This record gives sequence, C-alpha cells and structure tokens, in this order.
Amino acid sequence: MTERTLAVVSAGLSQPSSTRLLADKLATATVARLADEGVTTTVVTYELRDYAQDIMNNMLTGFANPRLEEMIEAVTSADGLIAVTPIFTTSYSGLFKTFFDVIDNRSLTDQPVLIGATAGTPRHSLALDYALRPMFTYLHAVVVPTSVFAASEDWGTGDGGRVDSRVQTLPARIERAAGELSALVARSDRSTRIRDPFELPVDFNPAGLFPPR
Amino acid sequence: MQFGIFTVGDLTTDPTTGQTPTEHERIKAMLTIAQKVEEVGLDVFATGEHHNPPFVPSSPTTMLGYIAAKTERIILSTATTLITTSDPVKIAEDFAMLQHVADGRVDLTLGRGNTGPVYPWFGQDIRQGIPLALENYALLRRLWREDYVDWEGQFRTPLQGFQSTPRPLDGVAPFVWHGSIRSPEIAEQAAYYGDGFFSNHIFWPASHTAKMVKYYRNRFEYYGHGTAAQAIVGLGGQVFMSKNSQDAKRDFRPYFDNAPVYGNGPSMEDFTEQTPLTVGSPQEVIDRTLGFRDYVGDYQRQLWLMDHAGLPLKTVLEQLDILGEEVVPVLRKEFAKNRPADVPEGPTHEALVIAAGAAPVTDASASDHRDDLDTAGAIAPHRRATGAAFGLAGAAKTGA
Repeated sequence: MTERTLAVVSAGLSQPSSTRLLADKLATATVARLADEGVTTTVVTYELRDYAQDIMNNMLTGFANPRLEEMIEAVTSADGLIAVTPIFTTSYSGLFKTFFDVIDNRSLTDQPVLIGATAGTPRHSLALDYALRPMFTYLHAVVVPTSVFAASEDWGTGDGGRVDSRVQTLPARIERAAGELSALVARSDRSTRIRDPFELPVDFNPAGLFPPR
Repeated sequence: MQFGIFTVGDLTTDPTTGQTPTEHERIKAMLTIAQKVEEVGLDVFATGEHHNPPFVPSSPTTMLGYIAAKTERIILSTATTLITTSDPVKIAEDFAMLQHVADGRVDLTLGRGNTGPVYPWFGQDIRQGIPLALENYALLRRLWREDYVDWEGQFRTPLQGFQSTPRPLDGVAPFVWHGSIRSPEIAEQAAYYGDGFFSNHIFWPASHTAKMVKYYRNRFEYYGHGTAAQAIVGLGGQVFMSKNSQDAKRDFRPYFDNAPVYGNGPSMEDFTEQTPLTVGSPQEVIDRTLGFRDYVGDYQRQLWLMDHAGLPLKTVLEQLDILGEEVVPVLRKEFAKNRPADVPEGPTHEALVIAAGAAPVTDASASDHRDDLDTAGAIAPHRRATGAAFGLAGAAKTGA
C-alpha cells in the first residue's frame, strides 16, 4: 500500500479555534481522497501557538532549538502541507508569517500546499490570494488553485437549500481543495527523498568561476 | 594546540551601569586586551573587521601592527577579514606588510561579512557573496605566491605584470583560515586548498558545527591534503567564569539578557544548553571545552569571545586571568592526551618556513603548477617527508 505524509500547520490562537477546525476539515477531506486512491496517509498537525516562543527565539538567534528543528523537519519533508491562518489586520497573523520567515527559504520548494484562512467576516477573503499565495509562490511551493476561506457565518451554512447554486458552500470548497491537494500528494516522493544539506551547485568551482573553463 | 581570543570590537552600553565607552576608549581597551593575551600565556589575538557603527575595528592591520610592537610571542589574526568587499590586492599588501612588522606572527581568517549594506558601500553585490569569496581568494593566493601576476576576473580590474609588495616574509604566505557558519561552499573552498576551516561555533548548536567540520574534513581528504583527521580546524567559544558557578551566572545574566546578538530571546540557560556558551566555574569551562573534541575531532585552535555585550575592561582582564591561570594550562595538558602524533599542531610561520624549505623547488611563476594547493601539508612536514605530492593529486582530480 502506498504511504504518504501530510503536515498541517495551524496558526489559530484559541483552543479550540475555528482555524484549527478548518485545518482539520481540510486534512480529513484530503486523507479521505487519498484513501480512495489506495494511499494511506500519516497526518502530523502542529499548532504554531505551541511553538510561539521557539519561533521567536529562532527569529532572534538565527537557529531553531531542537524542538522546533524537529517540527520544521516534519513540516518541510511532508508530501503535502495544509497551512491555515486567521486573518488579522487584512493579512496572515504575525505568528504564521514568522514561522515561514524562520524556515530555510528553499525548504518548501516543490511542496504541494493547500492554503486556508479564517476570519469574522468574509470581507478579507482575498487575503488568501494577495498575502498567502504570493508568500508560498516566493518559496517555490506548489499552491493548489482552490484556497479555502471560512468566515464565521460559513460554519452555519449547510450544503442543501441554497437558492444560488453558483456560490459554493464551505463543505464544497473543502472538497474541491482536498481533491486538488490529494492529486499532488499522491504523486509526491518528497517524504522519502534523501536531502543533502551540503549539496553544492553542479557547476561549483572552489577556485572561482572566471575564466570559464 | 593554540588558544586565544577573538573580538568583534562592538561599542555596547554596559547594561549594569548605563555607560557606553567612546570609540577611543574601546580601541584602547582592545589594545590592552591584546597585550593581556600575551601576558596570561595565551597564543592568539584576533580582531573582527567592520565598516559600520557600533563597531570600531575597520582597519585591522593598523591595530595588529601596534600590538605586534607591544608583544613578542602571540599570533595576530583576524575574525574575520572581509574577502568579499575588500580588494584582494590590498589584503595581500596589508598582511604581507604586517608579516614583516610582526616577524611572521600573523595569520588571517577570511569571511564574507554579515552586514548587507557593506557590499554596496564598497561597490559589490551581496548576491555575489560566494563568487566574490572564491574569486578574490584565488587572486589573493596568487599575489602572495607568484612574483608577477597576470589576472583577469569577474569582479576587479585586470592586472598585467602586477607585483604585490612587500613580498611575504621568507617567501611564505600567511596561513589562511576560512570562516563560515553555514555555507558548505566555504568549507569546500578551505578543503580544496588545504587551508584551515574556522567555525564560529558560538551562535549555533553544536550539532550544526559538527556537521560542517565533518564535511570540511572529508573534503580535505578528498582533495588529497591528508587524512580527514589531519585537516586544520579552529573553533570559537564563549565563556564567562567565576570561582563559584552561581556567581558567574548572576554576574553575566544582565549582559546576556541585553546582548545585541541574542538578547531578549532565549533564556541564558536554554542558550547555554543549545550552544557552546558556558557560564560557570573554570572547571565547567574546562569540561565543556574538552567536550568540543568529541564532535569535531582533535583540532588546532580555540578562540573565545570575551569582550562583548558591554562587559567593562576590568572584567574582561579578570576573565583573561582566569583563562590563563586556571583553564588553558589544564586544556593544554588534556588536549595533548591521546592526540594522534600525525595530527598537525596549530599553524605558525616557523612551521610554514621549515616546510617550504623542505618542499621541492617549483617555478612560482608557472601558473599551472599547483603545489600551492597543499597548505596543510606545509605545516605538517612529517607528512610531506613521507607522503606523495598530495596537492597535485588533488588538483588533477578536480581538473583545477
């Protein structure tokens, strides 16, 4: 049986938080899709709040302590990542951004990522596309086309009975996003790759590059 | 094994008194500290190089030239000399001059620098940091080893028939260490030439230093300069001592908590656990320092950061007394135990001169001769005597 790992990072602050709730729903839907394809998925979920001081210490000292290092390793070596943040002041939370600031900016290259966000009202739903998506694009992650935003009111919106079928409900958006992510995770060999932190560029020449040989 | 201190040359307010030294006071303090290094029986004084406040040492060879006149024994070094933004021609000249002034008691550690604006201030591009370090050092080596240099590179104006003066003392270039916290390219460069590798060590976890040094050692062997165990390794360290461990912790804590590099971050206890910082009794410092050997192997040079974070001169001098009287004598004895005979000692000018005399005579102006690729061999003459021309073999392997 094929096995994959899926990392979930939630920047929710309260416990329980709607951010974590959304993250879990995205993860559950993704795991179910992968199971349909015959893939067994191991999910590792991290609340950034639990690492808040470690993350800030890393920001200040330049290195991750052993606890955070282990978590970063688990997140960056997973076959897929679900990253969910509350929207604060029109953007991702500072804690969420700080985490992605301290990891090596090459460590998410090629990683399939599903982004999600929560907020009190739907007015900031575009933050996913003007803040989170560009950040992960900068990191060369592969962000799936559907991102999932859950405003408070979405948690009280059901599947049926909608008059306007052009508006996708939260469960429908989750399903579509999970489908997109699971397709990439199923094809990923990321979690089994051996990564060499000392790998040099192929054309590296310790005596300099000029004149060209 | 060589022991000494390295200084950043920071102007930092003493958090316990609110006093900030003037530039003049700080520079004079550094000169006093350097002379104290000799007085207490240590071997090396190394200064940083910075081109922005709150740091004072912008002109290391000026400072080291003065110290050379005031001392007789210690090696004068740097931590680090900026190979990226300084003209390699000027580095070649400055350090050859210092060699003559100091009768050979000179080596240097090259680094890329970590202050972004210094690159544009000196007309360089920080994104070219690694290529600058590689190319500039390739030129620096030739300027010291060849009497007339024709040169064309990517970064500086070409040279035709240029001779760097004065020529190195006794025809032997100063020993070079390459310093890097996390770039394998620099460890690779050090290994390629058989130069020393200096790991700053103090700001990152030991596990990281261990991996970098291991990588350098393996590549040193790959390039044919000797076995991995014979590579030339230097380490940083950071200590604060008092007879009583609790007093050391109490006295150093305000400096730790407000230090520019890690202040307001992790607790002193966490940072002590995660990095080589040791705050405690001399015996604790001895035990911790001896432990470095467990993860980097037998090494050649141990430098400590002593005068930083606003510590007053008086305190720094007291720390140096403890280091010289109680710590280093024990370390010398303990590090010598079980040290394999074929592991080189710390590099000195005298050893380089002897090795150069023993080495086969080569035409220095023939640029495809690459006997210069075996700095380490030069300071381990017994290996030279028994071994083949490792440097040439290594060069052939890489097509250099």
